[in-house]
Amino acid sequence: MKLIKCIVRPNKVDEVKDALSKLSVSGMTVTEVRGHGKQKGHTAIYRGKEYNVSLLPKMEIEVVVPDRLVHDCIKAVIEAARTGEIGDGRVFVMPVEQSYRIRTGERDID
Amino acid sequence: MASSAPGQAAAPNGDSGHSSLRKQLDAARQELSDATGRGQGGRAALAQYADTIDGLVATLFTGALGDAPTAVVLALGGYGRRHLCLHSDVDLLVLFAGPLDASDEVRLGKFLHPLWDLGLVVGHQVRQLKDFTRIEADNPEFLLALLDARPIAGDRDLFDRFTATFHRAPLHAHLLDALLTLTDERHAPFNATFYQLEPDVKAAPGGLRDLAAVRAIARLTDPALLRQGPSDSARLDEAEEFLLRTRSILHLDSKRNQNVLSHAVQEKAAGLLTYPGALPQARVERLMGDYFRHARGVARWLEWIRRVAPVPVGPNLVKSADGVRFLDAGVAASHPDTWLSAFQAAIDCATAVSDDTLSSIQEHAERFTERDFLLDPTRRDAWLEFLKPRAGLYARLSQMHDSGLLGRILPEFGAITCRVVRDFYHKYTVDEHTLLAIRTVERLAAPPASPGPQPRERERFASLLLDLDRPELLVLALLLHDIGKARDEDHVSESVRLARGIFERLALPAEAREVVEFLIANHLQMSMIAFRRDTEDPETVRRFAALVGVEERLKMLCLLTLADVEAVSLETLTPWKEELLWRLYVDAYNQLTLGYGDELIDRSQSELAQFLAARHGDLTPEEISRFLEGLPRRYLRLFDREAIERHVRLARDIHPDTVHVSLEQKGSAWELTVVTMDKPFLFSNISGVLSSFGMDILRGHAMTSPNGLVLDIFQFTDSERFLELNPDARDEFVAVLDNVVSGLVDVTARLRGREQSLVHRRPPRVTPVVHCDNHASQRYTIVEIVADDALGLLYRISRVMSQQGCDVDLVLISTEGHKAIDVFHITQAGAKLSAAAQDALAARLQRLLEEDHEVD
Repeated sequence: MKLIKCIVRPNKVDEVKDALSKLSVSGMTVTEVRGHGKQKGHTAIYRGKEYNVSLLPKMEIEVVVPDRLVHDCIKAVIEAARTGEIGDGRVFVMPVEQSYRIRTGERDID
Repeated sequence: MASSAPGQAAAPNGDSGHSSLRKQLDAARQELSDATGRGQGGRAALAQYADTIDGLVATLFTGALGDAPTAVVLALGGYGRRHLCLHSDVDLLVLFAGPLDASDEVRLGKFLHPLWDLGLVVGHQVRQLKDFTRIEADNPEFLLALLDARPIAGDRDLFDRFTATFHRAPLHAHLLDALLTLTDERHAPFNATFYQLEPDVKAAPGGLRDLAAVRAIARLTDPALLRQGPSDSARLDEAEEFLLRTRSILHLDSKRNQNVLSHAVQEKAAGLLTYPGALPQARVERLMGDYFRHARGVARWLEWIRRVAPVPVGPNLVKSADGVRFLDAGVAASHPDTWLSAFQAAIDCATAVSDDTLSSIQEHAERFTERDFLLDPTRRDAWLEFLKPRAGLYARLSQMHDSGLLGRILPEFGAITCRVVRDFYHKYTVDEHTLLAIRTVERLAAPPASPGPQPRERERFASLLLDLDRPELLVLALLLHDIGKARDEDHVSESVRLARGIFERLALPAEAREVVEFLIANHLQMSMIAFRRDTEDPETVRRFAALVGVEERLKMLCLLTLADVEAVSLETLTPWKEELLWRLYVDAYNQLTLGYGDELIDRSQSELAQFLAARHGDLTPEEISRFLEGLPRRYLRLFDREAIERHVRLARDIHPDTVHVSLEQKGSAWELTVVTMDKPFLFSNISGVLSSFGMDILRGHAMTSPNGLVLDIFQFTDSERFLELNPDARDEFVAVLDNVVSGLVDVTARLRGREQSLVHRRPPRVTPVVHCDNHASQRYTIVEIVADDALGLLYRISRVMSQQGCDVDLVLISTEGHKAIDVFHITQAGAKLSAAAQDALAARLQRLLEEDHEVD
């Protein structure tokens, strides 16, 4: 199992969600986050005054998927979230050792 | 006059009529003296004496002014109360219906001279009715004496008109205030205690004036208070009788208006008032014991009534400990158009509407329809005024809603009462969601004291609210944005449909209607774009900016969105969403203010075709096209058809060196429209002329089309009321403008005098900002300036630009409180400024703003 953590543009969440659903990835966690990547934010000007927008609003989508789906999921996320401009986001993949369903105490096997 | 003893004065002018009056007066004085000698110079005896004086006054008045005079004579103060002691002043008001002419003056003399000749100490005032339409704040004693005004002779109808004019809530409130102040001032020399060994029975605490004050306070606030009180009101009557009997003795003994019960007189007074006791000392002690008992009673009443008396806050409205309530609920019940004022007054007084008033409204509201509440323009204006965002609006609207009144005034809102729409987000009923959204706006206007200061993130939104010209329209839009949810269809279009009916009932002007309808129709747009669209795509921002059109609507929609989202649930509006919303606002604002110069009206646009199709008969398509082509498209958004057609007419027959001007009063502000041909220093000259007349420029637009036609519109306030008060002011203003623009008069010289008087009046509150931008527009260098608003600021800034060889092509002028925000679109020799030229200009402007006032 892998945890796939995607940082995407806020307006891309729905497309990413749809793309993942098509792969039968059902459970996901979506969080409003703020941060910056290489672009380190940018400078905005309001009424002649520059102000630095260092932390940009982004959405974080986390899914846990069986190893066999990892590749497809990454591909789907990248396709759905890409605009080609700076600030499209990142996808991180991490190993998951164990996973349990709290209601039943049942352990997920892959 | 005060020292001449009546009864010893010369006979009046040998007139036999007057000698009979003299006899009547002498007899009455003798009778009062005798009663006083028996210790009975109290209320009955004084009233009888007052009646005789009434007779004399009436005889002389009728004799002098005729049987059908256009005047009435009124007894005031103590005389008005018929408590006229032997040496009391006879206070009179001669009231005329209109202005006095010479013959009135003669007749007045004929009336007053015999009174003086009779030796009466007459305190008289002569007024006309219209004197009482405004509060005469510098003479509270006179106004208080008028409370006891009683007609003696003359035109009774005039007295009724006076009563209607005089007894108004604002005046009552003013009088109450004045009375309390005067009372405190009067008590001070007595060390504010009634335990005086030698008391002044009139002025001392617990004396006759305090007693009159108790009754006056009840009269001004709630007459029913006299039936409550710390003791039976009969105690007040007893005290009055005692004090008057004593005062009569003091007048008789001293033969003048002397009111101090000194040690020397106490023994005599105790005797005349028949206090028992073998020794004088015992009789005096009994007298003074009675005095203190009565004075204490009066002082307690006064202290009590000052504490509990409701404060008049409007017609039939008072503020008590439990909030604002109707003084007479019965009267209010049949006048539903007055109910709103209870809620308005409650907000003004930072209190609630009292429970009994709410119950009364609830009980009667169903008898009336929406039309009964918004009867006339005054009521409709009051309704909009009520919606201005400020502390207490949410709470009062909630009270209004709970009592059923809101749903009666706006049945469409009543239909969403407790309406449940199930979705994943909303946590409150539709009505409460709406009111909570209004609370968000209220809290931007007046941040709650706790739980801590408004976060910085909110201050930026609060600054938008401050900038709104009519924030009440934002609140109205919020109030109506979800009324369509009463039905299960598309709620946005249903809300718009219902709102149109409400606009009709409110007789909302077209301009306001458009704004509110725009906000309702688009209330989901900004959140949708901010949270779900790619706002980093310039096209998204451009389209959104085109949707809102102008900054005012952008600010309103941004605030409406903030409030609407926050009112969904406590968790919905996250700082993350606030940031997205703000970023979209800033991007769209920049698009509107910096990018608009690139989007010009051209012949092929449908907007132009539409405008031409519906044009007014006297305008030709050619002259309209000639005028509009090349102006920024924004122009069509800023002005309505009527204004644009006015501008086209103003531009007729325009030549170099001619200036066409229109000057109009718009509410509390003025609007100057200037059409002319472009030339160097034009903008600075026009703004300089405005400043040289002391006008404070609030907002404005300057536009230049490629063929050199200039259209400048300034809104300004005239705090010195020069234009309003001087009949020739407009002509003078236009002549000066003409002369300055055509170069005959130098505006710098005109301004110098004014500026010197203002220089360094206050320290700067805003750090000046000068920002040059060569990217936002394809055609212009844009200079944004934020600085302390000051007289002549625009003139000085634009003059520097012209001196640097720049052409000022487009200008946006706005003011937020004391902050001026101006955006200039400029060129140099038809092109954007070079980097070096920008730096030089920015440096000069920065220096200018930092020096605050530089006249060169």
